[in-house]
Amino acid sequence: MSPTLLIVGQGLTGLFSAVLAARRGATVRLIAEGRGGLSLSHGCVDIWRNGDIRFARRSLGRGHPLSELPREVRAEALSEFLQLAQEARLPYVAAPDRVLRLPTALGSVHVTAAAPYSLAAGSLDDPTPFHLGRIGGLRDFSADLATSAFRARGVNVAGTIDLPVPARARDLYAHDLARLLEDPGYRESLYRDWTPHMKGVTRLGLPAILGGDHSLEVFTAMEQRLGVSLFEIPTLPPSLPGLRLERALRRLAVASGVEVIEGPSVRGEVDGRSAGRRVSGVVATTAGGPRVFRSQAVLLATGGALHGGWMSFANGEVQDSVFGLPLEAPEDREDWTAPSLFESQPFSRFGLRLDSRRRPCDRRGRPYFENLYAAGGILGGADRSTEGCRQGIDLASAYAAVEAALA
Amino acid sequence: MTPRPTLGSFAESRGVTPRPNVTLTPGPSPAGRERGAGVRASLAMFDSDLCVKCNICTAACPVAAVTDRFPGPKAVGPQMARFLHPRSPSIDPSVAWCSGCGVCSRVCPHGVPVAEMNIISKAAIRTGWRQRLRDWGLARPAVVARWSRPLRPFVNAALRSGFLRTAADRTIGLARGGPLPQVAAESLRHRRADLARQQPAQPGGAARPRVAFFHGCSTDGYEPWLGETTIRVLERLGVEVEIPPQGCCGLPLQSNRNFAAARRYARENLVGLHPWAERGIPIVGTSTSCTLALKHEYRAVLGLVGPEVETVSESTYDFFEYLDQVLADQIGALDLRPLALRLLYHPPCQLRSHRIGTPALRILRRIPGLEIVVTDAECCGVAGTYGLKSELYDVAVNVGADLFAQARRTSPDLILTDSETCRWWIEHHTQVPSRHPVEILAASLGLEDLRPAAGLG
Repeated sequence: MSPTLLIVGQGLTGLFSAVLAARRGATVRLIAEGRGGLSLSHGCVDIWRNGDIRFARRSLGRGHPLSELPREVRAEALSEFLQLAQEARLPYVAAPDRVLRLPTALGSVHVTAAAPYSLAAGSLDDPTPFHLGRIGGLRDFSADLATSAFRARGVNVAGTIDLPVPARARDLYAHDLARLLEDPGYRESLYRDWTPHMKGVTRLGLPAILGGDHSLEVFTAMEQRLGVSLFEIPTLPPSLPGLRLERALRRLAVASGVEVIEGPSVRGEVDGRSAGRRVSGVVATTAGGPRVFRSQAVLLATGGALHGGWMSFANGEVQDSVFGLPLEAPEDREDWTAPSLFESQPFSRFGLRLDSRRRPCDRRGRPYFENLYAAGGILGGADRSTEGCRQGIDLASAYAAVEAALA
Repeated sequence: MTPRPTLGSFAESRGVTPRPNVTLTPGPSPAGRERGAGVRASLAMFDSDLCVKCNICTAACPVAAVTDRFPGPKAVGPQMARFLHPRSPSIDPSVAWCSGCGVCSRVCPHGVPVAEMNIISKAAIRTGWRQRLRDWGLARPAVVARWSRPLRPFVNAALRSGFLRTAADRTIGLARGGPLPQVAAESLRHRRADLARQQPAQPGGAARPRVAFFHGCSTDGYEPWLGETTIRVLERLGVEVEIPPQGCCGLPLQSNRNFAAARRYARENLVGLHPWAERGIPIVGTSTSCTLALKHEYRAVLGLVGPEVETVSESTYDFFEYLDQVLADQIGALDLRPLALRLLYHPPCQLRSHRIGTPALRILRRIPGLEIVVTDAECCGVAGTYGLKSELYDVAVNVGADLFAQARRTSPDLILTDSETCRWWIEHHTQVPSRHPVEILAASLGLEDLRPAAGLG
């Protein structure tokens, strides 16, 4: 009998853990109320603001999720992730000895540790000057805005070019264009329209629209026919690099035998026969009656403050949203937020504390349950936005949780 | 003294008719007096404030992906609702492109009933008389089966006649390429009249598990063998099967914008099924759209409230969900024969809207020898009766294109899917025989051989 693992949440943490666990022989169920934040993201792997974890470790305090994960675990998690992405024909570029500095749609610089090949091709460390493409009818990217901001920070943008696309009945989203571009016939018509604009262009940055599930083929074909080096810049959500990764991981999960139960909200169920020491699964609110899904182990991958992983109540209590585990929070709510929106927010550090076997535990290190694990944004102690360590925590803690749960 | 405000009175003050109550006494229904009043009859619009406009639903919508005439579920749903005055629903007509597959509600991380809002909005759309004629028939598969049974050879020949189908396409907009089933010689209710009950039988001595079988009008009128197979499997598992009074679930009426008639159908079913549900006897069906109607649409789209709706909803199970949740021990003890088959399994959008995952896979994976690939298409395109309409047919085919391509790539022996309209549609467009998963289970139990390909009109 193979071990069973029930994972709650299908963001990067949940999907990555599901694939890992299924490939280690577990029977895996992934249960989630809706789809996670991954499809809204840039698709890169941020490990630390400057991208270099060795440098960062000095500034990591005790209790930071990354400082509790050994270096080998972090490296192994990243390497497994890169292999999976490669397998899904979504190759990532990761430079172990340096960071990637990538252009953003707002003309700022995104420092990251690993990026999809099409984004990595836009590295600002490549001195070749680039043009930016102005795609007609795409509201979610402004080449002019990005160009003026880049120039203000001394990035050499050669200019912008107009790239017309055939008129449609409505405003296009990036994923609409991506789907259209998967059709070779549609691409042919674009080559005809775009080639006259390519004079003097050697390197061209486009909003991320170059294909969905077959982005590698689309990217290669377009580079060849247009005769320029291309790169992509992530746009407003839904953002193609995140969407591609999400779809690829879900496909890998399903192909590995993971059962995805999409839609229900869940509450944790404690095993009554264990004197409260073990969990038995979750109770799901389905379209009909409540249904119980049992499992030998449960992994919380429910995310942080903005993803529904925890809830706060009028009496000031903060609890994880599945099992109601208590989270520490300042008594005065004034202390939950920073004076400015753009500062590090104290509430973003709220989250679960784990024991050495990756189980949520109390202040004295005693696990609440023997078979309940947690990973990703629900872990406390980090401000993943300002620290730029979001995916680093997701991947490494997911890896560690799966190892612990199946040990 | 002013009465204490309730959600209902708040709705009234906003010009919204509160949800009509279900009464199990005969008489004109409160909903019967309204026509096309779907938007006013629903409170779903108040949930639109939960929408943060993240566009996760827009990116997942299989219809918006293939036609730019549909702006996407968010744009016509929660976003539009913010501009609607409750009393005068100014519906964006592009909501007509929504197929009602429900993907948007299922992927929403904030609990916005996007699909439900759009299905309700669609009910207010007016169409021409030719389309109304067609929709009248598509919305009443049970009536069509009953009326045409005496003339069955002619009806079935007509359904297969290229000439007549072309004529129907040109005149009333019944898509020529949309597969229609053949009317069966005898209905399931006739063939298994021995199981029909008006009330649950008094329990005998042995405490055997019992179910009330909800066959749906498709199994009753077009595919009675599927119902017989299901009953045989249940009986083999030691279950006592009864067939309660029931008619069409009303979902086709709801999809074809006749909420008043859909509510009448719903009410009749609730009267018929409640005695079983009340005694804790599960209501089990093999058609995932009918069981979804009982579980969800009556409450969330038709707006019915009352203890009967709740009890029936919570007692209803998809067939495989029932096996997995209630009969796990019996299933574990079964001696399943190996079947050397390559299968492509497509979980229908309606099954996924149950929010229970893929219970058929949990059971079928116990059968030795089966090689099962799961599709990654959100929807096959037909979405009940959507793909059978000429004006929507091309969109429906394009929605299914990825699934059809996957079928060609993997060249399975059979395609499995739980919903009948999906099964007919996929078989028609891939030319791969398509089966309900219960047929595989029955074959593995040695109860019957896999039947040959069905003839579709």
